[in-house]
Amino acid sequence: MRYGMVIDLKRCIGCYGCQAVCKVENATPPGVFWARVMKREFGKYPNVRRVNLPLLCMHCREPECVKACPSGATVQREDGIVYVDETKCVGCRYCLMACPYGSRFFHAKERYYFEGYGATPFEEWGYRRHPTGVVSKCDFCRHRVDQGLEPACVANCMTKARHFGDLDDPQSEVSRLIRDRGGSQLYPELGTDPSVYYLP
Amino acid sequence: MVFSDPFDSLKEDLSATFRPQREWAQRRGLLLISAHFLSGVGAGAWLFSTILALRVGLFLGLAIVLLGGIGHLAFLGRPERFWRIITRVQSSWVSRGLAGITVFSVFAVAYLVLSAFPGQAGPLQQGALTLSLVGAVWICVYKGFVWAVAKGIPFWNSPLLPAIFILYALRGGIAILFVSLLFTAQPADVGPLELTKLWIGVSSGALILLYLTVMPTTGITASRSVSELMGGALSLAFYLGVVFLGLVVPIAIGGLGYLTTLAPPALAVIGISSLVGDFYTIYCIARAGVYRPLIGEFPGRPTR
Repeated sequence: MRYGMVIDLKRCIGCYGCQAVCKVENATPPGVFWARVMKREFGKYPNVRRVNLPLLCMHCREPECVKACPSGATVQREDGIVYVDETKCVGCRYCLMACPYGSRFFHAKERYYFEGYGATPFEEWGYRRHPTGVVSKCDFCRHRVDQGLEPACVANCMTKARHFGDLDDPQSEVSRLIRDRGGSQLYPELGTDPSVYYLP
Repeated sequence: MVFSDPFDSLKEDLSATFRPQREWAQRRGLLLISAHFLSGVGAGAWLFSTILALRVGLFLGLAIVLLGGIGHLAFLGRPERFWRIITRVQSSWVSRGLAGITVFSVFAVAYLVLSAFPGQAGPLQQGALTLSLVGAVWICVYKGFVWAVAKGIPFWNSPLLPAIFILYALRGGIAILFVSLLFTAQPADVGPLELTKLWIGVSSGALILLYLTVMPTTGITASRSVSELMGGALSLAFYLGVVFLGLVVPIAIGGLGYLTTLAPPALAVIGISSLVGDFYTIYCIARAGVYRPLIGEFPGRPTR
């Protein structure tokens, strides 16, 4: 069993829905983006192409962050999910340097979405999961996955651009999509073997 | 651009093609750069002080390494959990580094304490000295690997970087001794040290040149970092700090040592100039680091 995600770039319309729902689901503070979307325009008028690239932790099979973490705070589960145990993180930020995908964020100081108004009840509830002085990142919504649900970004993608499943099962939807549509990883040459694939 | 608040730079950084790394270079990141600089320099000073039997140098070396250790702790987001850092020596270079600093600090203190009782603790003293030297060598060695194995920053992924860090630690160690000679002149010991310093200075210059020549060929990200150093926002720090103060001044004054004996003040100038250059070298390497671009000409198949 190895959980993975497939993102269909043809279907992604760059609506930032994944980014927003991730924030709602995980109550990440300002400046912390476990899911985000990068956009670029290529070419010149009239031959212009817009590309949306949804990004999140790649949950690599050979995660550089796990090797780099000096405190054992970054852990890889047997099902492939890589997460940060915030009670063990010392905030050295070496994992930020080790991750080739820029998927980690350091929560330096407490900050609220409505500056000058303090924390909303939602923030007060959510920030218990996000202490300051530690690094955090996407954990494939492991609290949902453990209940048999899909990660929030997958369940809420309005164009069904995201698919989640077992990469080790050749019959799973994600394996089939990768095989049939030529799914590719980001920087496969680095040897990290990401569990997030992109369909061209 | 340096922002006063990390939050202000984030939006710009996340949309940039080449996202700069700021955590290890700006604001509190300067603590980490200083800590790396101090621990290397202190370990170098300990090594050369042992060779030349300079007691002042031993105290200075230990004090500087301890200061570097404090800098490392002060940089942490959760310094109260610092002991956890040593739990992953099997895979993490940061863990290995803390192990080295700990071994060095414990046995260097033990050696200095035991040396206060001459003739009473011979084997123990020698054992402590040997282990402190192992720790000092390890401190000089590990720092380059911390940076070189970080796959996120291509500019750092070079086997040349550990060599540069080792040379700069040794240079810095000698520079500290040069400065200390102002207060405790021991001219008889300076001759070989001066030549060593000159040799290491020239070697460091050659390595830096090689590093900056090789790195642009490894990909567009490292090439971008080199451009930042040589013609971008970091060029002043690079040319004035790394090249002029760190290499030209020490090598030029050190070269005069072939013609005439250098007085302690001249050696102190070499030392201070070299130390400033050493700091700027680490600073420039850290600041020039940028992450790989995640989005390229073809979706899902970014260029390097």
